[in-house]
Amino acid sequence: MSAAKADPSDPVGRPRRWRVTRRRLLIGAGATFGSLLVGAPIVVEYGRPTLVQWMLERGTGPTEIPESSLVWFELTRDGITLHVPKIEMGQGIHTALAQIAAEELRVQPSRLTVVQADTARGFPAATMFTFGSTSVASLYTPIREAAAAVRAMLALAAAGQLGVETQQLTAADGTFQVAGTDRRIAYPDVIAAHHGPWQEPEEQPALRPAGEFTSIGRSVPRVDIRAKLLGEATYGYDARLPGMGYGAFAVPPRFGAELQSAEPGDAAGMPGVQQVVIDVEAGFAGVVADTRTRAWAAARALKVDWSDGTRVDTGALERQVTAGDGVVLRRDGSIRDALSRGRIVEAEYRTPMAAHAHLEPLAALARVEPGAVGKVEVWVPTQSPESVLEDLHAALGEDREVVVHVTQLGGSFGRKGGQHLAVEAARLSAATGRPVHVGWTRDTDLRQAFYRPPTHTTMRGSIGSDGMIRGVEQRSAAGDIIWAVAGLPEPVRSLLGFDPGGLLGLFLPYDLPAYRLVNRREQLPVPTGPWRGLGLMPNTFALESFLDELAEAAGTDPLTYRLAHLRQAGEQQERLRTVLRTAAQMAGWSESLPAGRGRGIACSGDVGTVVAVVAEVDLSDGRLRVTGLDVAVDCGLVVNPAGAKLQAQGSVVMGLSSALREELRIHDGQVVSDNFDSYQILGMADTPPVRVNFVGGGEVPFGMGEPVVGPVPAAVANAVRAAGGPRLRSLPLRL
Amino acid sequence: MQLLINGRHHEIEHGDEPLLWVLRDELGLTGTRYGCGVGICGCCTVLLAGRPVRSCQITAAEVGDRPIVTLEGLAERDADGEVVALHPVQQAFVENPLQCGWCLPGHVLTAVALLARDPAPDEAAIAEAAKPNLCRCGGYNTIKAAVARAAELARES
Repeated sequence: MSAAKADPSDPVGRPRRWRVTRRRLLIGAGATFGSLLVGAPIVVEYGRPTLVQWMLERGTGPTEIPESSLVWFELTRDGITLHVPKIEMGQGIHTALAQIAAEELRVQPSRLTVVQADTARGFPAATMFTFGSTSVASLYTPIREAAAAVRAMLALAAAGQLGVETQQLTAADGTFQVAGTDRRIAYPDVIAAHHGPWQEPEEQPALRPAGEFTSIGRSVPRVDIRAKLLGEATYGYDARLPGMGYGAFAVPPRFGAELQSAEPGDAAGMPGVQQVVIDVEAGFAGVVADTRTRAWAAARALKVDWSDGTRVDTGALERQVTAGDGVVLRRDGSIRDALSRGRIVEAEYRTPMAAHAHLEPLAALARVEPGAVGKVEVWVPTQSPESVLEDLHAALGEDREVVVHVTQLGGSFGRKGGQHLAVEAARLSAATGRPVHVGWTRDTDLRQAFYRPPTHTTMRGSIGSDGMIRGVEQRSAAGDIIWAVAGLPEPVRSLLGFDPGGLLGLFLPYDLPAYRLVNRREQLPVPTGPWRGLGLMPNTFALESFLDELAEAAGTDPLTYRLAHLRQAGEQQERLRTVLRTAAQMAGWSESLPAGRGRGIACSGDVGTVVAVVAEVDLSDGRLRVTGLDVAVDCGLVVNPAGAKLQAQGSVVMGLSSALREELRIHDGQVVSDNFDSYQILGMADTPPVRVNFVGGGEVPFGMGEPVVGPVPAAVANAVRAAGGPRLRSLPLRL
Repeated sequence: MQLLINGRHHEIEHGDEPLLWVLRDELGLTGTRYGCGVGICGCCTVLLAGRPVRSCQITAAEVGDRPIVTLEGLAERDADGEVVALHPVQQAFVENPLQCGWCLPGHVLTAVALLARDPAPDEAAIAEAAKPNLCRCGGYNTIKAAVARAAELARES
C-alpha cells in the first residue's frame, strides 16, 4: 500500500548514512543484522533532457546532484518494502515501480509494499519532484539494477546458510531453491537467519531478458486501489492529527492585490473561533476555529484591506497574447521563396485559459513545535516537496528542521507542483501551538490558482502544383508556463524569447522544404503555469488543424496527406507513421459514414512517446457529439498495460473536456468561472468509448502521463469539418 | 444528537453543520470527500436510507434517525473490524480501477444503490445512474465496465 498516513508516531526507518560501493549501490550503514537496505544511486539522465540540461547549465534548476538514493529496498523478516520518491496522484506509478522491482527480485508484485518517501528519509527533495511524465522512465533501470543486486546479496547469504554455491540456487516467488533438490529457503528466512555484514556480489548481476519477464508487461492490480476503495487512503484533505484546529485565511479579491492592513473585525467573536492570526508584513490574515465551516466563515469576516490589483478581463488577456513578431526558433529553407508561389492557405487558432480542476482542492496539515526553531512537520498533497520545503524555510526560518510528508493526491495535473497551503497551515500552527489543517473551498481553489495560459497561432502555408507543402510560416504566442513558476529574472526571459514549456508540441514534425517559426511569450498579469502536457495540447491543436486545412486545399485525404509528408527515414517519422496508420485502422478510416458524421485524425509526440487519435463526430442533429475515439500510442515498453490504458483514456477525456467545454473566464481581475456550474468539465454523458492500442514496444518505457492529451482537440475539430461542419479554430469547439 | 452510520450509532456535536463535515472532521470518516460543496461533483455521496445523496447539501440534523452508509461501511468485516470480504462493487472497482480515487465514493455508492433496485442494469441504465458524478481523471469508460462487472459479481454471490 502506498497510502501515506498522517501518523506522527510512524517510526522513521531511515538509513541515515549511505556507503557507496564500487558498483554504485548504496547500502544502508548499520543495516547488518536481520534486515537489508539497498538503494540505487541518483541518476539524472531522463525527462525532458534538454530542458533539464538547459536549466542546470543556467543554474535555474537544482544546483547540485544530491548524493542520495533514488529508491531503496528494505527487507525484513516481515516482508519487502520499496521506498520510492515519486508521487502517486493517479498515474499508477507505484504499481508500475513495484512490478519493475518484483521482476528482478523474483517475487510477485503484490508481495512488495510500496512506500512514499518523505523528505526526512534519505531522499533529497529534488528527486521527489514528480513532473513531465518521467517517473517510470527515469526509475526503470535504476530499480531493476538495485533489485537484482538485492537478490544477489540474498543469494550469497542463502548459499552460505545452505552450504551450497550461489550458482546452485534458483530464485522464484520469493524463495531460493537448490537446483535438482527440494531444498528451499524463503527470503524472510534468509534475512532472519543472517548475521554480520551483507556480502555484495562481485559484479552487477545480469538483468532478466525481456523475453522472460513475468511481471513487467502484465496488468497486475494497482497497489493503492484497495485502500482507496475502503476509504482508508489518506489524501491531503484527509490528513488529521489529535487536537488539530481548522484554519482559513483571507485571499486577495483580485490578482495582484496585496494586503495593506488587517484587523480581526467580527471574526474574533464568531462561534468556534479560537484565534485570529495577523501578519501584515507577510501578507497574511487567518483564523483557527473548531470546525472547518466556522473557520471559512470567520476568514470572510476579517477586516482586511487590499491594494487594487489588476482589473484585467479575458478579452484583454487574449489581446495581449497575439502572435506576430518574436524570436525565430526555426528557419529551414527560404520561407520567402516558398510563400511567393503556389496556393496560399492561411488560418489562425486560439486556445483559452483553463484550470486543472482536480477534484481534491488544495489542502495541508501542519504541526509546528514551539519556539523560534521548533520543528515543522507538514502533510501535503504535492508534486514538489522541495518547493514546500523551501517555502517553509523561507517563511518560518532557515534554522528550523522541516519534514514534508506527501499524502495521496486527489488529482493534480500540474497544479500541485507549484501551489500548496503548507506555509499558511504552518503559520497558523506556529501561532496557536496546535496542529492546523487548511483546506480550500472549490471556489477559492479555482480563483486562487495558476492556469493554462491562452495561446494564439497564425499559420501561413503554400501548396505546390503537386499538392505537396512548399513551406509553412508559423507565428505562435502564449502566456508563460515555466517562467511563471520558476525564478528567473524577466530580462533573461525576454532575451530568450520563449518559455521552455511552450516549446512542447510547438514544432511541425513533417517534411517541409521551408519552415519558419516565430515565437512570442507573454508575461500575463494573472498567474499561469504548467497544465498537463504544458504547451503540447494547445500547440498541437493549431498545427494539426492546419495540416488538415492544407490537406483540404490540396484535395487529399488527411491521413494520406500526413503520411506523404512523413517520408524521411528517421525513427520518429516511422513511429508517427505507425501510430497514424494504427489509429486509422482501428477507426475504420476508409469506411464511409452517413451524412452529418465524420472522422478526424491528429498526431503528436512528447517525452519520447508518439500518439495518434481518430475522433468520430455526429453533427446530424445540429449539435456536436463525439461518438468515439481511437487512440494508437507508442510509449516504448509498456510496464502495466491496464495502467497505461487508464492514462491514455484519462488523457483523452481531459483533452476532450478542453475541446468541448473548458474555458476559464476572468472579469475585473477575478475568476468568474469558480465552480463546476460555471467551469464545466466533461461528464459521463458526453464521454464516448475510448479505444486504445499500444504499438511499438521496445527496451525501455517512455512517458505516459501527458502525451496522449496532445492530439485530441485537433482530431475532434478535424472530424467536425469532415462531417460537413465549419472549420473550428478556437477552443472550446462550438458549432 | 446521534447518527446511525454504517450500522453503528455515533454521538455528534455539530448537528447544524453539513453532514459531509460531520462525517469527515468530527468522526474521521474521510472516505466521504469534498469536491465542490454545491452538489455537482458527487464526491461527497453517501447512502441515506439506501439512496445516494450529496452529504454537502444536507445538515447532520436533517438526517434524523435515517441510516447512513459511507464508503467505509461497505465491506464485510469481522468483530475486530478487519475486512473479511469486499462488497461486490468494491471488488469490481479493484478489477476496474480508477486513477486518483478521490471521486470513488460517488461512483461506488451510486452503483450500490443502482444494483439494489436493478440487479441487472443495461449499459444505458448504468450510464444514467453514474452520470451525475464527475471523474477528473477521465475514468468514465472504466466506471461503466466496473458497474457492469459489479452486477455480475453480485449475482454470483
